[in-house]
Amino acid sequence: MIGLVTAPQTGLDFDALMRRHQSLVFSLAYHFLHDREVAEEVAQEVFLSLHRNLRNIQSPEHALFWLRKVTVQRAIDEGRRRARRPQVALEGVAEPAAQIQPQDPMLRETLRRLIATLAEAPRAVMILRYQEDLDPAEIAEILGMPVATVKSHLQRSLALLREKFARRSMGEA
Amino acid sequence: MDWLEQELKNALERKAPSPDFAERVRRRTRGDGFRTALWPQRWLAAAAALLVLAGAGMGYRQYQGNQARQQVMLAFRIAGAKVNHIQAQVKERMR
Amino acid sequence: MKRALPLLLLGSLCSGLWAQQFKLNLDHLAGKAANVVDISLNGPMLQFAAKFLDNKDPDQATVKKLINGLEGIYVKSYEFKNTGAWSPSDLDAVRNQLKGPDWMKMVGYTSSEDGETADIYIRTEDKKINGIAVLVSAPKELTVVNIAGSVDLESLSTLGGHFGVPKLVPPPHKK
Repeated sequence: MIGLVTAPQTGLDFDALMRRHQSLVFSLAYHFLHDREVAEEVAQEVFLSLHRNLRNIQSPEHALFWLRKVTVQRAIDEGRRRARRPQVALEGVAEPAAQIQPQDPMLRETLRRLIATLAEAPRAVMILRYQEDLDPAEIAEILGMPVATVKSHLQRSLALLREKFARRSMGEA
Repeated sequence: MDWLEQELKNALERKAPSPDFAERVRRRTRGDGFRTALWPQRWLAAAAALLVLAGAGMGYRQYQGNQARQQVMLAFRIAGAKVNHIQAQVKERMR
Repeated sequence: MKRALPLLLLGSLCSGLWAQQFKLNLDHLAGKAANVVDISLNGPMLQFAAKFLDNKDPDQATVKKLINGLEGIYVKSYEFKNTGAWSPSDLDAVRNQLKGPDWMKMVGYTSSEDGETADIYIRTEDKKINGIAVLVSAPKELTVVNIAGSVDLESLSTLGGHFGVPKLVPPPHKK
């Protein structure tokens, strides 16, 4: 009977974890789903799940790993469930309206939209790489895929983006 | 890191959720499982209505069975969430 | 006497079952609540539902195992828009039924900060749990759960975090 209340004491504070990681979780969901409202719903569900599973979290590093993994899983599930945005090939997205201007906010929005149209796996890889600044080995661990596959997704997605912009630049020339 | 990768980092930089995000989560943790547990019920109601309309395709027994299954799942979900919630609160107070 | 024996057996079974259950006299709150969950499934209904649970779904498989040995599950949960919609006497009416020798308060807490109280009561027979009552109240919420029959508390407690999201993710390897 006592067993019900004697979970391992981790010393982790839920509120502190939420304060620290809310931007991380929300942004992962937002960049994946490209919908602020849906991303907030997903982020809420992730933290509620963390709250329920806190006794299983062994350290702050584990919490960070857990949050990244579960957020990506939840975002994938939500994307499939809602199917708001049809999966279109990168080639099908409108090309940038102007030539590349560094620090151009329009360019960033275009990039975000392009990322949001990638297939699930490369999308998750790109977001973890460039939002979370993780290396391929860390991404592979979170997504449960071989490192070589992560590298392949990165290379192919970057190549597609470059091609998209290069085509536009040549067209302007 | 070339220009594209730098721009990707800029484009995908972290953003803050709405200011009341943490408070909304906190509110839901106090009744953990309750609100989410209601969604399946609403979904169940909609599904049940559809099932009735599509009655020709599915027997009444199957309909009843699905309803019973959904109710059982919802009941255990609420029970499990509440036990978990109490356990977490008691654990917190034992620290 | 031959005639009386089955009746006596039936009577003792009924009294045993009755002791595991209690009255959830909370229906008058439904009209005041913004959201209501009211589930009442007796043994035959549970066994009927079990036939429709899918073993391939891990959540449903877990519930199917839990149903074995259960005689009923009863849930009443109310969420209110405003405070003061329910009174302590509503909860006392339930709690008083759990003061008998059959029931034992296993764990509980009261939070003066947010006005939440929660208790878990169990009923044991031959050192086995054969009934659970869960009472949770907050200013805008009232939930009572009664599970009658042999219950595996550990499995039950895993269910709250078991739906939808993996319960435990292993910690990352050190780099």
